[in-house]
Amino acid sequence: MTQSVFKVIVNGEHELAVDASEGTLLEALEAHKLEVNYHCKSGFCGACRSTLKSGSVRYLTDPLAYIRKGDILPCCCVPESDLEIDH
Amino acid sequence: MSYSTFNQAQINPLNEPMYFGNSVNVARYDQQKHSIFEKLIEKQISFFWRPEEVDVSRDRVDFNKLTTSEKHVFISNLKYQTLLDSIQGRSPNIALLPIVSLPELETWIETWSFFETIHSRSYTHILRNLFSDPSEVFEDIVINEQIKMRANDISQYYDNLIFYTQLWQTHGEGEVEVDGEIYNVTMRELKKKLFLCINSVNALEAIRFYVSFACTFAFAERELMEGNAKIIRLIARDENVHLTSTQHMINLWQYGEDDPEMKEIAEELRDDAYEIFMTAVKQEKQWAHYLFKDGSMIGLNESMLCQYVEYIANLRMQAIGFDAPFPEQRSNPLPWMNKYLVSDNVQVAPQEAEISSYLVGQIDSSVDASDLGDFDL
Ligand code: FES
Ligand SMILES: [Fe+2]
Ligand SMILES: [Fe+2]
Repeated sequence: MTQSVFKVIVNGEHELAVDASEGTLLEALEAHKLEVNYHCKSGFCGACRSTLKSGSVRYLTDPLAYIRKGDILPCCCVPESDLEIDH
Repeated sequence: MSYSTFNQAQINPLNEPMYFGNSVNVARYDQQKHSIFEKLIEKQISFFWRPEEVDVSRDRVDFNKLTTSEKHVFISNLKYQTLLDSIQGRSPNIALLPIVSLPELETWIETWSFFETIHSRSYTHILRNLFSDPSEVFEDIVINEQIKMRANDISQYYDNLIFYTQLWQTHGEGEVEVDGEIYNVTMRELKKKLFLCINSVNALEAIRFYVSFACTFAFAERELMEGNAKIIRLIARDENVHLTSTQHMINLWQYGEDDPEMKEIAEELRDDAYEIFMTAVKQEKQWAHYLFKDGSMIGLNESMLCQYVEYIANLRMQAIGFDAPFPEQRSNPLPWMNKYLVSDNVQVAPQEAEISSYLVGQIDSSVDASDLGDFDL
């Protein structure tokens, strides 16, 4: 069995356990009652754009918003490793 | 450089920049320089909708119950949106099609503009339902000082680019005299006008609609004007696709993934781009002030709206590589907005205004023979 639960540190202050087999990274942030930014929740508006400081993510749907180096769109990705992000 | 509707030169569109290269000849999409525009076309077309399919008939009753100041908010916003979509329904075509060099981008521009015309038609649909004669509302758009001020700011960048492109098409590069004025037409100057124009459109798609969206959804939160809210939801979803396209153009330029000269220009005009955006922010706050001049509405006032403008301005500016201009406004002052902006919210009951998925005639493709069992002709 491959590992699906990863440690995600958000804004340097919240540490969450995120199960990559259950919903998107954004949904995980919401489930942990963190304040989240989003509009479309489908990868095309860019409103959820966050900074990936370490780790890697996998996209569930092809993101259409521009992703600059070091950016991720948590509404359509899941962690692939432990992560540190700014949202 | 006169424009030809079918450039006969053999060109490889994979080596062309987005704009000011060779004009497009064969409309082919099997290969793409910037495949994102092809994906945006597909996304946008998948969102096709018809205003007439949204039932706005109940809004008439609601409208008559609104206070005078709420009516002012509602109608003024519709006027402003009508202006914005009037401009957007034509300007990307007129300004950008003559200078575009990639087939997928050319088609994106046409698709984009076409959807803006759907938005325009939806305002007529909404207004016809509210007034037996909506002429007065439409006619005020070219008289109303508040709206004219914004119209001028938006259209000047398009108009400038269009004018210089026309000079270039008829006279080529060099000095041209028109009505006693000398214009120096150079490729550099044309590209600068293009850069400013796209930044102005980006600001339009990014924030100019949101004060009005917020008012619409604030009415919907009170279960008022829900037909209108359904339409605005569909419009907001489209605008997000448009916004992504202008952000892509700006970022492709500034990160050196397209025309190298545009990268230089993006650096050179960075402050101007910033100013264009911040002017739009200022104007939207003034608009909020104008809307609530006779009183606010339940759940929304001028200062909340201004905070919301700052909040989304932060998101939009960061998307094109600027620091957040309002670091003190990191959190969303109108969190209920989000549920109306979600592209599809399938968990909630379909009769509610925040759902768009059921609005357009959906076809159930999983019909099998047994479903038609006792179906006789
Ligand atoms: S919420 Fe739109 S891209 Fe993530
Ligand atoms: Fe529009
Ligand atoms: Fe638009």
